[in-house]
Amino acid sequence: MIGYLVPAIVAVVVVLRLWRRHRRRTPGPSQVRAGFGPFTSDVGLVASREMRERFRGKVFRVGTLLILAVVGAAVVIPTLTGGAPQPRRVGVVGALSAPLRATVVASAKSVGTSVHFVSEPDQKAADGDLRSGRIDVAIVDGRELVVNKPMKPTDSSTTARFVGAVSKNLGVAKAIEAAHLSAAQSSALAGARAFPVRSVQPGAGKGATQTTSIVGLILVFVMLSQYNTWILFGVIEEKSSRVIEVLLATVRPVRLLSGKVLGIGLVAFAQASLIVVFAFVLAEGVGSDLLHGTAPLVLVSTLAWLVLGYAFYCWVYAAAGSMVERQDQAQSLAFPLSLPIIFGYIMALTAAGSGSASSFFEVLAYLPPTAPFAMPVLVGLGTVTWWEFLASAALSIVCTFGMARLAASIYRRAILRTGGRVKLREMLSRAGG
Amino acid sequence: MSGLLELDGLRRRYGTLAALDDLSFTVPAGQVVGFLGPNGAGKTTTMRAVFGLTDLDAGTVRWNGEPVGPTERRRFGYMPEERGLYPAMLVGEQLEYLGRLHRMSAVDARAATRTWLERLGVADRADSKVETLSHGNQQRVQLAAALVHGPELLILDEPLAGLDPPGIDAIGGVLVEQARSGCCVLFSSHQLDQVEDLCESVTIIDHGRLVVTGKVDDLATSGPRRLVVRVEGDRDASWAHGMAGVTISEIDGGEARLVLDGSVDSESVLRAAMAAGRVTEFVFERRRLSEVFREALQ
Repeated sequence: MIGYLVPAIVAVVVVLRLWRRHRRRTPGPSQVRAGFGPFTSDVGLVASREMRERFRGKVFRVGTLLILAVVGAAVVIPTLTGGAPQPRRVGVVGALSAPLRATVVASAKSVGTSVHFVSEPDQKAADGDLRSGRIDVAIVDGRELVVNKPMKPTDSSTTARFVGAVSKNLGVAKAIEAAHLSAAQSSALAGARAFPVRSVQPGAGKGATQTTSIVGLILVFVMLSQYNTWILFGVIEEKSSRVIEVLLATVRPVRLLSGKVLGIGLVAFAQASLIVVFAFVLAEGVGSDLLHGTAPLVLVSTLAWLVLGYAFYCWVYAAAGSMVERQDQAQSLAFPLSLPIIFGYIMALTAAGSGSASSFFEVLAYLPPTAPFAMPVLVGLGTVTWWEFLASAALSIVCTFGMARLAASIYRRAILRTGGRVKLREMLSRAGG
Repeated sequence: MSGLLELDGLRRRYGTLAALDDLSFTVPAGQVVGFLGPNGAGKTTTMRAVFGLTDLDAGTVRWNGEPVGPTERRRFGYMPEERGLYPAMLVGEQLEYLGRLHRMSAVDARAATRTWLERLGVADRADSKVETLSHGNQQRVQLAAALVHGPELLILDEPLAGLDPPGIDAIGGVLVEQARSGCCVLFSSHQLDQVEDLCESVTIIDHGRLVVTGKVDDLATSGPRRLVVRVEGDRDASWAHGMAGVTISEIDGGEARLVLDGSVDSESVLRAAMAAGRVTEFVFERRRLSEVFREALQ
């Protein structure tokens, strides 16, 4: 994880230094005025208003509580249902030698469980306990295993794997006994280990990390959709209520727009951070393994890409909002705008679910519209290096600057136009000209 | 506080339509100036041009001799025709926010907000959302939004539209008070009687061009003299028919409104009337602003 964090921090510091140098070179009118801090400039005041209004809104408060509830459930429920492994209960009818008991214990360990022996007075009692579920398997006179129902070869439950291992290992142990081998030979055979098998491709499914990836994807999808919608309808509200005329009589369009996306972006980041911290603390508290292994790295990269994704899409939605002046016109815009988000989300869900990434999916991880979904999944699958991660982030930042310039140009021309929907072709031709 | 707004040669075309056609006039400090014109004359476009909300094809807007830029506009106050406030935002917070965008400190913005809400009689609605206010109260809040930062120039697009008489008195009183304190005040309206009551000067435009500008008193007394004459027993004012240099503009119940050209004096008219009978009314009449407006547009 440190291997990702250090370059990420270095990149942020470099970007901040470049930005500050740029600000020193090109002071805007409001910066010429001394005595105004970052949150008393135009951009800061607009951002503060957006944050205050959003934090105050019922949608935000109820939405945050709902998301926290869903994340809480995702963290807690697995620990309640299957978190602590239950020991397999083995009924013993008749005698079972110490070596054979040791073999049963070793078999349990090999499938990730433990064992609890239950003495059964006779076969009939063992059958009754099997039917009632009190025991999982019975060993009768050290020569056969009895289960409640036949087990299919495709059954991959822990009990089935345990019974299979006990059946095989007891057979081997019996064979060793029958061969009358020396103690050293018996020990060598009993300690035999299977050859390790290595795969060229990554394995399907990575347990906790996979679940974290999917939960993170859902969060990014929900939050990007929510905050982009806020941007879209926020711009339309200012245009339709004509408050935009009062604002633009005082504030430059680009600064007004920057304040809006910054304010809503900070609300988004605060909400996402709250959710991530909540998930970490809760997982630690209940002993969940959802945030073990590479899962924290997946979560941090998800947070980073939520910010990058918002930074890219907010300009698109702001420009679109400036071109319409009624809510019903916005409805027809919202769907085509969300298509890349939906596409990236579905592709990423598919990849996270299957546990493998195609070449096409890896390409999506470098395209700014789909990277917020694809790149965290690649991090979860462990198929991306830190420099590939940074390269995709850098590409996204560069494209975001380009998108911001284009959107600001469209916004400036369209926001004061009334009397119907402004045509995109006209805006693009004027923005380019 | 003093200043002079100059609009010099403003031109703006929308396709084939000339919204502003070489429009020039000035707005001096200390006066309420009425900005008149029929619908589509270019009044709103002109006002928006002062705030940079309309791109001009040509022309300059100057404040105290300097071209108007973002810094100057922070000292202006604007009330657009289609009111501009956040519907779901609290009244007091909204005014403070707009004050701060005009570079007021938080303390000053809060104090000015309280002052203006009290002055306009809506202090009890400071914690209400704008959308819950009546039309008249929204109008008052909109005016407060234009005034909260103490502007040197106040431009208001139809500030009296849809107001009841107390509302007109409240807003009109504030406009006059602002002008007396040295502010430049320009406002548009179609309610010519109110304009005549409130304004020292008017500027009339049509098809984006200046038609008439000047003091209301001068415009009312300029042009041909007007007389209202009533002669007992002569309901048709037959004595005035055919009189050289006299045009009868209206006869209403024996009361004749006459327009005199330069070739005839009022004494001649009085003698002619007295010859026809007992004169019960003989009054020089000022032109109403509505007449000035109609004549200017003919």
